[in-house]
Amino acid sequence: MKIRISALLIMILAIGGALFSASKLVASDQASDKASNRPSDNTKTPPAKAPIDYQAEGDRIFTANCSRCHMAPMIISPRITGTVLMHMRVRARLSRHDEQILLKFMAP
Amino acid sequence: MMEKKLRMTRSRWILAFFLVYASMAHAQGDDLQKNSAGYVPVISGGIGYVHNINGGITTLEPQINPVLLLPLGHHVLVESRTSFSGSFQREFQTHGPFTGKVFKSVDYAQADWLLNTHITATAGKYLLPFGLYNERLSPLWIRNLQDSPITSGIGTRTSGAGDGVMLRGMAIEHPSWTIQYSAYFSALSNVNQLQAARTAGGDVSIFLPQRRLEIGTSYQRFLQGKEINSEAVYASWQPHAAPLDLKVEFDQSYYGRGYWIEPAYMLSQVPKGQKFFQHLQVVARMEQFYLVHSGGSSIPGVDTQKFSFGMNYYLRDDTRLLASYGRQFSSQGNANVWNFGFTHRFLWPLWPGRKK
Repeated sequence: MKIRISALLIMILAIGGALFSASKLVASDQASDKASNRPSDNTKTPPAKAPIDYQAEGDRIFTANCSRCHMAPMIISPRITGTVLMHMRVRARLSRHDEQILLKFMAP
Repeated sequence: MMEKKLRMTRSRWILAFFLVYASMAHAQGDDLQKNSAGYVPVISGGIGYVHNINGGITTLEPQINPVLLLPLGHHVLVESRTSFSGSFQREFQTHGPFTGKVFKSVDYAQADWLLNTHITATAGKYLLPFGLYNERLSPLWIRNLQDSPITSGIGTRTSGAGDGVMLRGMAIEHPSWTIQYSAYFSALSNVNQLQAARTAGGDVSIFLPQRRLEIGTSYQRFLQGKEINSEAVYASWQPHAAPLDLKVEFDQSYYGRGYWIEPAYMLSQVPKGQKFFQHLQVVARMEQFYLVHSGGSSIPGVDTQKFSFGMNYYLRDDTRLLASYGRQFSSQGNANVWNFGFTHRFLWPLWPGRKK
């Protein structure tokens, strides 16, 4: 009986965890939908499409940090994005997290 | 038997927590590390030409400032900027053929070790992190007005660069504010192209990303000859509501003190002629300098005031035409300062890339 209860608890926790992760992904999708004025379509968009979140966050970090000093560049080739962001991380004193989000945003 | 059951239950609990945390981590981190960014060497920088008329004397100033970026893995970057700037004036100032020369200098040549968010260790010749101008706004394709602020010589003696070590990074990272710092020590050097003074100093700033407001302060102790302190306080603001870029800085040292305030506004909100006006930036700068003790280097020997107004037309995000007018007032004489020209920022990979 004890074994069944523990198995049930494991299932509940696993499902809870999965639901928690799914809700976070849906929330981030909705946030990015809101940002781009697109109607959210939760039924058609599977929760696995997380890159949209990186787009919104990357756009925010990119705009806020580049404009502190200069006109933000329109295009940077993905081939050199890593090098350019290393330089900007030093010069603008960006965090490692910001650098990773920007790498994802500029060279997904 | 009971003990065996208990052990099994415990192991299931551990497995359950592992599953929950793994799924949470998946939701938050996902494949953040995965991207297609390349790390090939890059040559970047600015090229431009400025036709300067200062007090009736014309100077032709072609410039090119290539920046070499050489990554060694994902944590070490070797970078260097060299400056080639020409200065050509008429032989008899107002008439005669143009003569002059091209000046070459290594602005910085440094190796950066990106340890983590909080620490980047830099060694070599580096730009002194003092105020807003020297390290961040001095490249010709970045500066909104081509003339440096009058106080830009404060805290950057003797060459604008230091030879030694610097630690920098983000001290505290919070979603709504971050604190950045730089701390350095520079040794005296008279080696050709590596000239630097014996100095120590640093810079601290707080950045509010949601308000796009940065407020900071810099300090430098000059440790050779007459030992003096230099201080700066600055702010930079790019509000969401308008395409405005406002920068303010106050500098002081033993030799003098002064401030500059520079608003730059993109005319993208003009309702008519949007196609033209969205690329046009108007910029103004008010600056005043007050002498405290004479004999300072790189700063005026008398009280000086200057007002400048300019326009930058961006043909693309990396190319612009520029024109500015300034009026300088001092006891040595007033003068009109005109600048016309263009700047272009280039960014090229040095060879076809390998991807991560």
